[in-house]
Amino acid sequence: MAPTPDWVKQLKPSAPHGSGLLAAERAKSNLPVGRLSELLFTKEVLNRKQRVLDVLKSEKVFDKSQNYFAGRIDRFGTALARAKKLRNLRLKHGWDLEDFRTANELVSEPGPYALHDSMFLVTIKEQGTPEQHDLFLKKAEKHGIIGCYAQTELGHGSNVRGLETTATWNPEDKTFTMHSPYLTASKWWIGSLGKTANYAVVMAQLIIDGKSYGPHPFVMQIRDLKTHEPLENIHVGDIGPKFGYNTMDNGFLLFKNVKIPHIGMLARFSRVDPKSNKYVRRGSPFLVYGTLTWIRSTIVMQAGGVLARGVTIATRYSAIRRQFQDRDAREWEGGENQVLNYTMVQIRLLPLLAATFALHFTGKSMMNLYQENQKKMNAGIANADSSKRGAGPEETESGSDLLADLHATSCGLKALSSTIAAEGLEVCRRACGGHGYSSFSGIGPWYADYLPTTTWEGDNYMLTQQVARYLLKSARSVLNNNAPTNDTTRILKDFRSRADIGCAFDILGSDCDLVSAFAWRVSFLTFEVLKHRDEQKKAWNDLLVDFYRLSKAHSQFMVVKNFHSALSENSTREKLDDDTLQIMHKLFRLFALHTLEQEGSEFFASGACTVKQISLARTNAVMKLLQDIRPHAVGLVDAWAFDDWVLDSSLGRKDGKVYEDMFYRASELNPLNWITVDPYPDSEVLFRRDERSKL
Amino acid sequence: MLDFTDKLKPQYDGAATLQAERNASTINVDELAKHLLSRDGFLERQERILRVLEKEKIFKKDHQMNLSRPERYHLGLARAKAVQRIMRKYSWTTSEDYKMFEYLVDEVSPYHLHLTMFATTVREQGSEAQKKYWMPKILNYDIIGCYAQSELGHGSNVRGLETVAKWDPQRKEFEIHSPYLTASKWWNGSLGRTATHAIVVAQLLLPKKGKENEYESHGPQPFIVQIRDQKTHQPFEGIVVGDIGPKYGYASMDNGYMLFDHYRVPKSAMLSRYVEVSEETCTLNRHGHPAVVYGSLTFVRGQIIMHARLILARAVTVAVRYCSIRRQFRDRDSRSDQDDEMKVLDYPTVQIRILPLLATAFALHYTGEMMYSMYIKSREAIENDDFGPLAELHSASSGLKSLCTMLTADGIETCRRAMGGHGFGGGSGLIGMNADYLSKPTVEGDNWMITQQVAAYLIKKMTSAVADPTAPPKDPTDELFQFYLKNRGHHIPQNVAHGTETDDCAIVCVFKWRTADLSYRAYQARVIDKKPWTKLMIQLHSLSRAYSEQILVTTFHNSFRTSTSTLSSPTPEVLRTCFRLYALHTLETSASSFILTNSVSSESIYALQDAILALMTELRPHAVKLVDAWSIPDFLLASALGRSDGKVYEELYDMAHRRNPLNRITFNPDWRSEEIVLGSGDGGRHVLSKL
Repeated sequence: MAPTPDWVKQLKPSAPHGSGLLAAERAKSNLPVGRLSELLFTKEVLNRKQRVLDVLKSEKVFDKSQNYFAGRIDRFGTALARAKKLRNLRLKHGWDLEDFRTANELVSEPGPYALHDSMFLVTIKEQGTPEQHDLFLKKAEKHGIIGCYAQTELGHGSNVRGLETTATWNPEDKTFTMHSPYLTASKWWIGSLGKTANYAVVMAQLIIDGKSYGPHPFVMQIRDLKTHEPLENIHVGDIGPKFGYNTMDNGFLLFKNVKIPHIGMLARFSRVDPKSNKYVRRGSPFLVYGTLTWIRSTIVMQAGGVLARGVTIATRYSAIRRQFQDRDAREWEGGENQVLNYTMVQIRLLPLLAATFALHFTGKSMMNLYQENQKKMNAGIANADSSKRGAGPEETESGSDLLADLHATSCGLKALSSTIAAEGLEVCRRACGGHGYSSFSGIGPWYADYLPTTTWEGDNYMLTQQVARYLLKSARSVLNNNAPTNDTTRILKDFRSRADIGCAFDILGSDCDLVSAFAWRVSFLTFEVLKHRDEQKKAWNDLLVDFYRLSKAHSQFMVVKNFHSALSENSTREKLDDDTLQIMHKLFRLFALHTLEQEGSEFFASGACTVKQISLARTNAVMKLLQDIRPHAVGLVDAWAFDDWVLDSSLGRKDGKVYEDMFYRASELNPLNWITVDPYPDSEVLFRRDERSKL
Repeated sequence: MLDFTDKLKPQYDGAATLQAERNASTINVDELAKHLLSRDGFLERQERILRVLEKEKIFKKDHQMNLSRPERYHLGLARAKAVQRIMRKYSWTTSEDYKMFEYLVDEVSPYHLHLTMFATTVREQGSEAQKKYWMPKILNYDIIGCYAQSELGHGSNVRGLETVAKWDPQRKEFEIHSPYLTASKWWNGSLGRTATHAIVVAQLLLPKKGKENEYESHGPQPFIVQIRDQKTHQPFEGIVVGDIGPKYGYASMDNGYMLFDHYRVPKSAMLSRYVEVSEETCTLNRHGHPAVVYGSLTFVRGQIIMHARLILARAVTVAVRYCSIRRQFRDRDSRSDQDDEMKVLDYPTVQIRILPLLATAFALHYTGEMMYSMYIKSREAIENDDFGPLAELHSASSGLKSLCTMLTADGIETCRRAMGGHGFGGGSGLIGMNADYLSKPTVEGDNWMITQQVAAYLIKKMTSAVADPTAPPKDPTDELFQFYLKNRGHHIPQNVAHGTETDDCAIVCVFKWRTADLSYRAYQARVIDKKPWTKLMIQLHSLSRAYSEQILVTTFHNSFRTSTSTLSSPTPEVLRTCFRLYALHTLETSASSFILTNSVSSESIYALQDAILALMTELRPHAVKLVDAWSIPDFLLASALGRSDGKVYEELYDMAHRRNPLNRITFNPDWRSEEIVLGSGDGGRHVLSKL
């Protein structure tokens, strides 16, 4: 392709320019963007990001310009090179764990070492004995071996108890035989397994003397440390291209009677006694539930940031993109309207903008609660025998009430927040109109990589059962007057105490009442479902849809409540001036009222508010809030402090040079333009000239 | 490559499972398939063309997800050429044949714009002389064309285009020019690498009367312009053209950009069936009005809906088959450890996501059919400028297009997610489809923007109904509005469900009442209270949606009196269940809108959940056969999860293990070594050179 001629280089976008429009947006809002960023992240974290970012930008391997063009194999190769470089940089710059995590977050693509750095290390650490730590953990921490975590199978995902891979104890030589009896026993989806790992933690059904003891974790080598070829009778590979996550080698793994030594079984909580050949349980893996709860809380908090990327891009672009004249504009008022001035665009973007803050504060408060509780737990772990325990920790013995509450809450919130983020990103993409469909929008690829979050750590639909089960149990305890004291039982008791007199919440006049309306709806739904289950004896399966609704209602209440209390805390009030606090309250009300209006029929059915109130919320209150928040929209997304390098988006550029960047990427970075084709169907020649090597 | 995994079998036999599903329902699949897909010989044509495509290696989809963007285009062009050669070889050259090729190849062709927008524009807007000159070249593919309208800074709003075509009275030529970067043509399909010619839509500039150096715009006009040399395929001097880069989907299509530097074209370039520049007076002469594209636009939107139903049916086919094979968790109420795990399609949480979509595919079908037949019936009348009954349908079509493409785009994604982890994998067959289909809600008018047309129409209708509530009604909307105005003072919200019983007529009534009431509110806000249009947009959007849902529900309901009544049992009853499920699920999703408009009683709202559960239980045993009736061939599904023979796991494994190019490479995972491919010894230089 001929180089871009001068007459093209000299062209400017037609006025008004994006840079001017964004500058005007920023000028008309007095929002203290920097202070808001500090409230979200703290100064320390912001500085850390900047420091790490400077390092990343200076390394060529992190150059993103060809990411959107490359095929699967090139993308994976590059990702592996990047993962190696990150490890090198960590040593070179003496990064601590937080620095390293920040670096991964900034690179924002799943890398082939990701499962080594997370689940492989964590599982050995939490479930291994000191002897096993010596043997595996030390090497693993130095990347002397590269591991992954192999749980899900071709035929089984979330249901761990249904796993088909077996680990059979051999008393004669004190080994385990790992075996895949069916094709569906193949490990599947396992990150870092396909091409990278030479070790794996494998979850398999433990079988002793013909009896199954359920799934247990085993550490084993799967590839030769020199040739990197699979060991004998182990069959392993990558599962192929996916919707997103194509920089990761999600893998499959099958065993044909592979023997591993006794030490392979991670034995902190249960082991096979080599002398007696008996299964021994010691203590219970409470902490494992703790870890899951922790991971889910981080998913909630991340959801805010994940969504904020899409909202940042869509909001900035909507402040620049102009379309149609206002239908009511008079003839002489030429020029088209910024689409962000259309209520139709506002109603899609601004509630999502509010959601980014709502999720962020909710995740943060969950993590605080968890850490407080962890301290208490560590002070005295209940060592009750839990071999007869059911699936969820909500049936655990005393001493873990708060953890049970947190666990249930985290299940529901994980489901709700990752759904809001994933769906919100798609709304943002569509709100960008035609250009949203281009990879250069930066939203599509980001969305595709985020989507698996809605299924992993528990499928969002499946998780909701755990919440419902917990709420039902709490409701029963309230009815039996033996309820423990926590947030959940408190709202259920309040509801019961007003069952005969009803409620009259002033949802449009009082923020506290608005929160109470959400609590009322949850309580109403809980006792309704309880009636179905306990009095009408409905089948569990017939109630799954009700459970889903119940969990959603509960999680929405949690978000609304946490957002509200975050704004009421002194620590927040000290950091923000009154005007900013006002805007944050408006965001709170927008999130809450928009949600309430969407779920109107449930609020109405529960008696939490009247049809008239819902109608007023829709036509007046929400519209007024959109109008009030609109001038600060750009400032509010600026507070999320995304660097352009991270966004990697033409539409979301901070300087507003949307069209210049779109054109630059299309004409200068696009390898397809270095190819000249033969277009006629009669000719079999496809590419007449291929000058990609000049790029 | 033989290995121990060759002999492994899945724990549950998917083939047997699907067979059992099929045995459990007595629906006559062939009969239903004919009922759905007989128009224009669809089934026969699908069979005929499929047989040829399946034999050609180039149409195999195995590797395409691994390819880079340039490789995908390469493949797309090769396929486009192959289709042309096959069409000529067998003389299958009707437009129906071509559409079937596109449908089955399932990839947008780099030639797509040539026969659609390019040829159509020349045919409809060219003068007799222009048609005589261009059409033979177009039909023979001597030139390859595209349609360049939207620009970097402007999409739907044609009046805002920045490219100009300035008339030069001395040389009797036009000068096409891009004054700004945002004037760059953008998104135009087939332009990036393929086309030799383009229809360029540009603002026509003519000298102002009496002031020779000043020009004024006469609005956007189409020009036919050669943009690349026919031998070298290089763009001409003064034109910069290229591909705009990767997108969410549409990888095989070279959507392009194009800029002009004072580029001169002859007078004959302007398509002049309706307008012509006079050489003497430098003014624009109009010959009559462009025959309002009314009818054909309605037809095109009807086709979009017919296409949407097949796409949605495909996603639902995959989801229904896979979810009836996939098992997860034992029933919680089960007493025995020996019970099998449940099929996930037996979970109401899975049903509630998939079965309403199954019903929706049928709802779209009957409305698409209705638009089609109305168009054909009134084609003659349209040629005499009498739009008669089509006038209403035309306004309705923009709202319907918006609703149906949105339901389909969201439906694909819902189906994909309902399949858990494997839905995310390449074996689902929904990844490419999802990505390609997602362009639909924005092309041909952004879904949020075009709904304003419907709302404006309804406000106008309501205004005249209020002005004269006794005028003889011209169409169903008049009747509805008059009925509404007469009864709004004493209307009682209706019951649609009592226990698990549903009342079909009441269902139709509540959808109608809601439309009328929302129309009245919009009329009040706009006409009486004079609220600004921009402030009403959200409300108007909901109105359009309500109106379109009402059409889907009413049309589906009407089909019971006509087309479906001749089908053998139990098909008519099952279709009625689909109707109820679609309607009640829609009602439930927008429950507050029905309550706020006083359409439905609050008792019904309480009863809805149970009623929907009961309907899903009724529909569940027929799910597999209902999707079978849509007759989507395995070749088109290209899905391990949706295979008609149920060999889900065998296929997933085969794709990963035997057909995955990444597994032919051994990598070096050791971070200390910069080498990426083991044994290549290149120290990572290969990777860096690609950045």
